[in-house]
Amino acid sequence: MIISILKRMTWALLLLLVQVLILDQVHPWGYGAPLLCPLIIITLPLGTSRIEALLWGFGVGFVADIFAGTSGISSAALTFIAFIQPPLLGLMAPRDFDEQLHPSFSAMGRWNYLQFILLLLFFHHVVYFALEGFSYFLLADIAISMGVSYVASLVLILLVERVRNPQK
Amino acid sequence: MHDFIDRIIAYVHWVLFLFLEALSGFLLFQYNHYQGSIWFTQANTVSGIVHEWESGILSYLRMPAENAALVRRNIILQHNLNVLRHTVPTQPSQGEAFSPSPSGELEGCCLSLIPARIIDNSVRKRDNMLVIDVGSEDGVAPEMGVVSGSGVVGIVSGVTPHHALVMSILNSHSSISCRLRGTEYFGYMKWTGGNPLRAYMDDVPRHAHIKKGDVIETSGFSNVFPAGIFLGKVAEIKNSSDGLAYELEILLGTDLANLRHVNVINNFSKAELDSLMAQ
Repeated sequence: MIISILKRMTWALLLLLVQVLILDQVHPWGYGAPLLCPLIIITLPLGTSRIEALLWGFGVGFVADIFAGTSGISSAALTFIAFIQPPLLGLMAPRDFDEQLHPSFSAMGRWNYLQFILLLLFFHHVVYFALEGFSYFLLADIAISMGVSYVASLVLILLVERVRNPQK
Repeated sequence: MHDFIDRIIAYVHWVLFLFLEALSGFLLFQYNHYQGSIWFTQANTVSGIVHEWESGILSYLRMPAENAALVRRNIILQHNLNVLRHTVPTQPSQGEAFSPSPSGELEGCCLSLIPARIIDNSVRKRDNMLVIDVGSEDGVAPEMGVVSGSGVVGIVSGVTPHHALVMSILNSHSSISCRLRGTEYFGYMKWTGGNPLRAYMDDVPRHAHIKKGDVIETSGFSNVFPAGIFLGKVAEIKNSSDGLAYELEILLGTDLANLRHVNVINNFSKAELDSLMAQ
């Protein structure tokens, strides 16, 4: 139990460092940057209690917010996907799963896992950019930022997942 | 009764979810009061140290570009010096009419510059902030202006002992009092998001003679910045939304996305002026 939490913390810390030190500094075409933090929530294993998932979402978001100067935005978006991740994973996990299924390409099947990532990342970005552009009158700008960041984040997350869990 | 408690427990994650979202919302709105929330920003000690460490590595990597910029700046200054050397002695009678360059005014009787390094920066958000590596112990206080070699950067909005949070000119709350160089037409420069090199100045009267390339500089009305600091050049002249004035699109002189070294302006006369205003 403790070991798995420590492991997850190291994983979260690694992703946060990459986010803060590298990704927050790149501004592709002046629009939204890739966001890697949702991956921490996406990879929460099956059987994680909903409370635990929520605490992970808020905790990771809070730290990401402090470093990026976006107080409240990441924590709101990550708490939101942490709320829907457990039931969504329950729906999309293969029927013959074991108790501690860790979401990945090999455990869930390529197409299933891709759908899972696409959905959670989409909800994350909708909340994130809706809050960031709060009271923003240039709706087109939010849409472009969101689109650019969605594609950039997706490519990055798929890349990390590929490295972490190479297909046979 | 047991049934009731069981039901509550079954829904406790909803309560926690709503509580955490409300907490995030609170942080989001609290952030509008910059001073109050400085500990929840990039300027707090822990993230300050991490960003400083990162910026140390980055500034080492960017040294060649920085050197090139300094050399270019040196050449321009040397050229200006040459021009001045030639004009000043040949016009002894007009010596008093000669106006010093804006950068010459900077270190006058009432101003001092505190050099600083940017340790965290963003240009892609709607409300961009910077963090610099000087704080209250170096003499920095809120409401001080921050400039770079190429123009205005922002205004200090909060300080911790060793860091300061600066509201960049690329922030929807930023509003810098400015004027057209050589005229008395003044207005406020604002940024509306998007391109980090474009800002707007509104309320310029229609009878003003403006052409593309005219220089926009600080007006000195706000006392945060002394008069005459370069902001940018007029890129486009448009009608304001009510059609009664011009709205100028400004090409900013400072590329905030690519900036390392800045100076904080400590305006001694500002304190005096503020106390006079308070009376």
